[in-house]
Amino acid sequence: MPDWLDVAVRGVIFLIVLFLMTKLLGKKQLSELSFFEYVSGITIGSIASEVIINLDKKIWNGIIGITAFSVLILLIEILSLYRKRVRDLVEGSGTVVIKDGKVLEENLKKENYSTDELLQLLRGKDIFNLSEVEYAVLEPNGSVSALLKKDYRPVTRKDLGLTSVNEKEPQTVIMDGEILDEALTTIGKNRGWLQAELDKQNVSIENVFLGQVDSYGSLSVDLFDDKIEVSESQERPLLLANMKKCQADLELFAIATESKTAKSLYTENAKKLEESMQKLTPYLKN
Amino acid sequence: MTVGANVKQCLATVKSIEAGLSTLASNSSDEEAKRLFHEQMMVMGEIKKDIMKRVGELEREEEQYKGF
Repeated sequence: MPDWLDVAVRGVIFLIVLFLMTKLLGKKQLSELSFFEYVSGITIGSIASEVIINLDKKIWNGIIGITAFSVLILLIEILSLYRKRVRDLVEGSGTVVIKDGKVLEENLKKENYSTDELLQLLRGKDIFNLSEVEYAVLEPNGSVSALLKKDYRPVTRKDLGLTSVNEKEPQTVIMDGEILDEALTTIGKNRGWLQAELDKQNVSIENVFLGQVDSYGSLSVDLFDDKIEVSESQERPLLLANMKKCQADLELFAIATESKTAKSLYTENAKKLEESMQKLTPYLKN
Repeated sequence: MTVGANVKQCLATVKSIEAGLSTLASNSSDEEAKRLFHEQMMVMGEIKKDIMKRVGELEREEEQYKGF
């Protein structure tokens, strides 16, 4: 066998071996969250590359090396899953670098981080002013997690005292002009419904690059042909506007009528509509 | 337009709101939203009934505008 063919064959074999091993070790290995995973990733890769290029080395030795390493990591990982002490030892724990808004210089030195590096990491989190940080931890994987002071945190619905509204994740039902039946069934819809929605927006399925259904069951599409304008669904705001109009009408009737019973009927219903509108507004506003 | 016609128009709007809420109730995937839409749809139904009653009275008063 010529050298080049040998290298090619080895390349293919080790690609398969590495693929199987990463599958075995799972997503955690890829995320390299801890020192241990980082080192093992490098070592496994080095063994593979060494055996692929260096034709003096036996293929079997490489495969055994990688397998042994992977199995060992897997065992340690399983062990650390159940034992906190093993976990702390293997994966390390975070170091607090800012507490009560003050930088803990000692801890920073211990982790060999300079002030510049800390600032750089914080800037990566869009924090430019150290005084905005209440608490920050240097994670075992070298990134920094920061808790902002309450004043500098983004405003939430809760801060504004708005009623809590929950929304489910949008489902992608059309991709590259193909219908994804699985996503459709997840939201309890079928192809007939989708076709009707598409007809409503006047687009054909072949022209749809991406189609998503939101929490309220309305379909938004992106077309291949970007010259065609697709209108955003106005269903919910329109409904709210209709309610407002109707409520105003009822109040008007109440004023206009001379009959006492009719007056109370109108006012009562206007009030009912008003209440209903208040409850629905958070859901109907876009 | 007479009062009768105005009230009838309002009735039509209430009906369309009821239908819109019904669609939202069946299309929403969040249970809480589904329940709220359904509840408010029922409220619309009550309002609709009241207005229909009033439309009946008005029709008796204004015979010439009968029919809906």
